[in-house]
Amino acid sequence: MSSLARIVVEQHGAFPVVAIEGEVDASNATEISRSIDAALSNHSIALVVDLTETGYLDSAGINLLFALGARLRDRQQRLLLVVDPASPVARIVAISGLAVAERTEETRAAALEQAHAGL
Amino acid sequence: MSTKEILTTSGAVPRDEALASLQQLTDAALAWLPQDELLSELLVRVTEILRADTAAILLLDDEQPLLRARAAKGIEEEVEQGVTIPLGKGFAGRIAAERRAIVIDDVDHADILNPILRDKGIRSLVGVPLLIEGRVLGVLHVGSLRPRRFSAEETDLLQLAADRAALTIDNAALYEQRRVAESLQRQLLPNMQRIPGVELAARYLPASRDTLGGDWFDAFALPGGRVALAVGDVVGHGVGAAASMAQLRAALRAYATDGHRPSEVVARLNRLMWQLGPRSMTTLSYAVLDLEAERVEHVCAGHPPPLLLEPGGEGRYLDVKPNVPLATVPGSWYESTVHHVPTGATLVLYTDGLVERRGEVIDEGLERLRVTAAAVDGGVDPLCACLASKLVARTRADDVAMIALRVPPPPKEIDGSWPAEHATLAEIRHLLRRWLRGRGASEEEAYDITVACQEACANAVEHAYGPGAHSFSLQGRFEDGRVSLTVRDGGRWRAPRGQHRGRGLMLMRRLMDDVDVEHGDDGTVVVLERTLAGAEARA
Repeated sequence: MSSLARIVVEQHGAFPVVAIEGEVDASNATEISRSIDAALSNHSIALVVDLTETGYLDSAGINLLFALGARLRDRQQRLLLVVDPASPVARIVAISGLAVAERTEETRAAALEQAHAGL
Repeated sequence: MSTKEILTTSGAVPRDEALASLQQLTDAALAWLPQDELLSELLVRVTEILRADTAAILLLDDEQPLLRARAAKGIEEEVEQGVTIPLGKGFAGRIAAERRAIVIDDVDHADILNPILRDKGIRSLVGVPLLIEGRVLGVLHVGSLRPRRFSAEETDLLQLAADRAALTIDNAALYEQRRVAESLQRQLLPNMQRIPGVELAARYLPASRDTLGGDWFDAFALPGGRVALAVGDVVGHGVGAAASMAQLRAALRAYATDGHRPSEVVARLNRLMWQLGPRSMTTLSYAVLDLEAERVEHVCAGHPPPLLLEPGGEGRYLDVKPNVPLATVPGSWYESTVHHVPTGATLVLYTDGLVERRGEVIDEGLERLRVTAAAVDGGVDPLCACLASKLVARTRADDVAMIALRVPPPPKEIDGSWPAEHATLAEIRHLLRRWLRGRGASEEEAYDITVACQEACANAVEHAYGPGAHSFSLQGRFEDGRVSLTVRDGGRWRAPRGQHRGRGLMLMRRLMDDVDVEHGDDGTVVVLERTLAGAEARA
């Protein structure tokens, strides 16, 4: 993994929570996408991607999240994003339309609540 | 003729000839042989001089009280089988322990531990200690397959050979030690890689060429445009200190790259040292610099404080929070402090060898460092060179390590060229953000403009496949409150493929006031413009 970002995976019951800490650009988007896939299993009903500690995200990262959402839908799984409105990436998530396409919560707790509600 | 006379005559060597042959043992040509070859050559000559059948050199082990067969002639099995003889026991063991020559006329009736000597049919032996400045290095002995009585004169000759051999062995050992020390030290100190956005220089001056030191430094980039700097000092010298230093340096990088806060990185290092056991006390100065925030977070583990040199300033030491050194208190926690490091300032981390002199309090050394450093003009490398020449004595008891980092101010205008690789995006991003902040852009504006510009740069990287298109340029200007960025490449613009590339273009248009893309046969030019809100308010 490049030194730009690291992926922290936690398992909350049936839901993997993947936090992206650091910066995502074209240089590491593919690698990050693979790490996220590795955290998923067929048993995961939903995946939470936490962007609270993401310092930078551009279209490379936005593309990866759109693609991830599409892959999950094909597999009858849900994607939940955690975006702190005060975080630097909040605007790009809004402008890109990602917040419309995918369910977005302000905190990890709220996202987990949503995931459980969907059971 | 008595038996004794026959025996003596059979082994006699003209003394002058013997001495001349011994002189050759220190031939300049011999000195360059690898140690094993050198010892073999020594044994050949010794057996010739004494007309003996076998010869062996056993050297004292560095750690245990035993002799180890190192070279042999006529009894090569000694070395092949790795014969060891306890100090004080048997023939060779007694020679080393008692530091005197021993002559055995009849092996059958003597205390011989080494079965190889008996199995070979050796009948008589003479052995002498290898001594250097009163230290025992080992034992040199020769044997005869015929019964023979080695005379006092022959024993003296052998001792003479042993003295010359000892000198040569000691020199070779010293040379070998120096060679290993230098090569190990080179391996252990980092190659100073270029870190985007900062100027770096470092020096390492070992206490002597022969010993390994425990001082080290390191510098590496962390996510988010941050730079980590470390200088440490493992107490003691030699292989142990150097090994400990190497472990700490690697562990520090690993903990820092894993995203731990500076105080946590140092607490983990401390825990690791207690786990690794036998510990040497270690002092550490660890700093993480956030270039955009112009801030450094520092952890001091019993180490002298970093020196901060502001442009045109007198220099001052950071008011750090002292914590205990590593490997002194198990489970200790470490507190960090945060300091402002303005653009243009230089931060110097160093080990105590730079400020300590015998017979003076450390305050005097610190003051000398501050005054000397503040007087240097012109970059981090001249600074390190000056500190090394003015503050470090030729003969010193301690190692000195230092590292200096300067944060150059962002340029008024951006005008640069980068290789068409994704890896350059992060570097450009941090340069751009600092530049925009310097022009008065708000955090949000800086973020938006950076994302838009990165889209154009990423495009330049991605379609830079044609010949001569392996780099792209970026120009940034700021006039009348308006930011203008121009990204140029020599590649062919790739029409948006699928919604992904289209998304990049869409983002650019949403984030900027004006986006202009022109593509021709010799490349593509993207011009991005946006007026800063602060500028409008000022107008």
